[in-house]
Amino acid sequence: MLEILIIGAVSSAIYAMLAVGFTLIFGVARILNLAHGSFYALGAYGAYLFTSLKIPLLPAALLSIAVVAVFGIVVERVLIRPMRHSQLAVLMITLAVALVVEQALFLTFGSEYRNVPAFVDAKLTIGGVDVAGSRLLALGVGAAIIAVLWLFIQHTRLGSAILAISQDPQAAQYMGIPSDRVFAAVMGISAALAATAGILAGPFLTVQPTMWLLPIVKAFAIVVVGGLGSIPGSILAALMLGYAETIVAYAISTSWTEIVSVLATLLMLVVRPAGIFGRRAAF
Amino acid sequence: MFSKPVDLAGAAAFVALMAVLPLVFGGNYLIGVLTVSVIYGIWAVTWDFMSGLTGRENFGHSLFIGVGAYTAGFMNTSFGFNGWWSIPASMVMAVIAAVLIGLPTLRLKGPYFALAMLSGAVIMQRLMLIFWEQTGGEEGINGLEPLIRSQLGFYYFALAVLVAITALLLWVARSHWGMILRAIRGDEATCQAAGINVTFYKIASLVISAAFAGAGGAMYAHYQLQVSPQLFAVVTSITIITMVYVGGMASIYGPVGGAILLVLLTELLRNFGEWRLMIYSLTLILILFFLPNGLIAPTWRRIRAALGANK
Amino acid sequence: MSALLELSNVNKHFGGLHAVRNVTFSVQPGEVVGILGPNGAGKTTLYNLLTGFIRPDVGARIVFDGRDVVGMPPHSVAALGISRTFQLCRPFVGMSVLENVIVGGLGTQRRDGAALDERARSLLVQVGLAGKEATPVEVLSYGDQRRLEIARALAARPKLLLLDEPFAGLGSGEIADLSALIRQVHAAEGLTVVLIEHKLREFMRLVDRVIALDFGEVIAQGLPEDIVRHPAVIEAYIGRDVPDTEAAHAA
Repeated sequence: MLEILIIGAVSSAIYAMLAVGFTLIFGVARILNLAHGSFYALGAYGAYLFTSLKIPLLPAALLSIAVVAVFGIVVERVLIRPMRHSQLAVLMITLAVALVVEQALFLTFGSEYRNVPAFVDAKLTIGGVDVAGSRLLALGVGAAIIAVLWLFIQHTRLGSAILAISQDPQAAQYMGIPSDRVFAAVMGISAALAATAGILAGPFLTVQPTMWLLPIVKAFAIVVVGGLGSIPGSILAALMLGYAETIVAYAISTSWTEIVSVLATLLMLVVRPAGIFGRRAAF
Repeated sequence: MFSKPVDLAGAAAFVALMAVLPLVFGGNYLIGVLTVSVIYGIWAVTWDFMSGLTGRENFGHSLFIGVGAYTAGFMNTSFGFNGWWSIPASMVMAVIAAVLIGLPTLRLKGPYFALAMLSGAVIMQRLMLIFWEQTGGEEGINGLEPLIRSQLGFYYFALAVLVAITALLLWVARSHWGMILRAIRGDEATCQAAGINVTFYKIASLVISAAFAGAGGAMYAHYQLQVSPQLFAVVTSITIITMVYVGGMASIYGPVGGAILLVLLTELLRNFGEWRLMIYSLTLILILFFLPNGLIAPTWRRIRAALGANK
Repeated sequence: MSALLELSNVNKHFGGLHAVRNVTFSVQPGEVVGILGPNGAGKTTLYNLLTGFIRPDVGARIVFDGRDVVGMPPHSVAALGISRTFQLCRPFVGMSVLENVIVGGLGTQRRDGAALDERARSLLVQVGLAGKEATPVEVLSYGDQRRLEIARALAARPKLLLLDEPFAGLGSGEIADLSALIRQVHAAEGLTVVLIEHKLREFMRLVDRVIALDFGEVIAQGLPEDIVRHPAVIEAYIGRDVPDTEAAHAA
């Protein structure tokens, strides 16, 4: 029982980081970024690459996050922006990017599972339950980052710009808010969040080239359930999904976990397309 | 437009070329490649009919292909039916799948419909792995019988099916049905206000698309003589969409050329081994940027114009 | 003569907002009825209720040509003989002018088959778009798009035509032309027309009878010249909006 509580919380934290980034860029720029999973993968692989180059773990991790953030900004500027006239075109191009990244990772690193070193190797015992230190770290860091992000959005100029554009893009433009620069910044933040999730989860989740697909399916599920463009919604839905998956894994079997998220998405899209907190419906 | 002599001549020339190629160049390898390209052609044409016309891009076409293929697999191996029963059976199953997933998802806006269909395909792939005892898991189902023993014979059969389906769907697309579908793409609410039952037409077009895609899946299964969960993969759906983009969205006949072109390209790139999929994905990006109207259909339109058909 | 369209006790709440209140009126066959009201009065909501795009609250009765249409989906309501246009022109993008009109008839007149093409062409002549059959709708001027909307609505051979602010976005010359077209179509096809508008001047000349709405309620019904003098109507307009004058739409 306590095990489920802790593992569920860890999953939720990772999912929350993924989902918040995904919903941010959607809320601000109406972009459904299917390459979001690629940022997650690149974060993990980046940490792997830099540590194998003998760079110590923390700088390697930060470097990886920085690289992925820049990559995200470049992708937005070069590939996504010209396609923004059509949401479907954006879907296609981001999906193509995800496939290119997958192939690039496969060609560079091969398809075997890679090892991303953990920050904390210790195993802790809480209330009689053995938990890997890396999992707890993921939980702690994830929660902290989201809290910081929330504060950032509430209390900085960029944060206000983000909120303004999410609510009314045209009005924001009339007010002189530089939307293009905000998009770039948000994309960078979104990519950084995903990369961080990849680095934190790397030690205990599989790292291989196709690791982008399930996170994006789940991020999409969470964001649909929580409401597109709503950060509180994403966090709540991430908790729901994280726990739902953990319970299913313990009660039935781990192979059913992926289906939970997909089924949740489909159900939500059918029953309440706006999600729990969403303002913009899916139809 | 379709019944102009130029178009019929073009179609006839294409069919003749496809029929004669294996005779001239011979070799089972070529026949194999052409067979696969023809089946992909079926999948691409069926996708274009629904998604190209209505503008509702379906990212989960592989769902219907996989359903058709697995139906064929079960019918032929577990239930021992003769291979020819696979085709109607797979069409029925694909139709059921289309109705089940179409009803709840077709009212969603473009990208959400696309992703909902993708989710559907992902679920099916997962389910095939979860119920591995019944479905053979990763290995899938093996030991299907070929429909026609002769490789060349089966190729001609597949080619005939492709031509028949393309002709049928082209005819529907040029009819009032097709106009309604294109109007739905333009503005659904106005269609409803004009008395058109939009839901019916969307589901009907998905069903038609699914039925023939499923038939193609069954044919593919009886060609490869095995069925695996890979058929449900995202890659399959995206490959088909790429073929349609290359062929020319909403043209119906363009995707045929797109499919053949891309399968041939993939074979030519066989030497590049691991780089194939990468080149594929990059091609998709290039097409989206530089040739959003595709290659095949616009080229054919120019040829037609040059031959003086545009009066 | 029994009414073509009868509404009684039509209400609509959107959450806490009572958008349409107790609307009751009827429309006789062959009339041209105008619905007047400031922005937000609930006029378009009323159309959406009439045509099945939204459901009224329980207790409403909407009877068209003897049939109760509450709860029917939009395409079924249209099939009974109601056609409508929308506030913003909504052409079928990606198709030609002629195709747009043909599709207008494909919902309810499909059995006409090939005759649809002919009827579409004659409708285009009637609305003044002859010669533009093959033009893609995207390049039409706004005034032409409005005409197309009317042709498309007529393709369905409706008994009742609902127009939603047909003059919006048009200059005074175009308004006069469109107004003449509406009158002509009304006479030729024996239609009943209901018309929402802001532009008082042209509106008053066009309609036989006016129903004035404010805050979702019917505040007055009667002849145009009476309505303009009605105290509740004047208050509704002067209190919030300034009635559109010639100067306003020359801008």
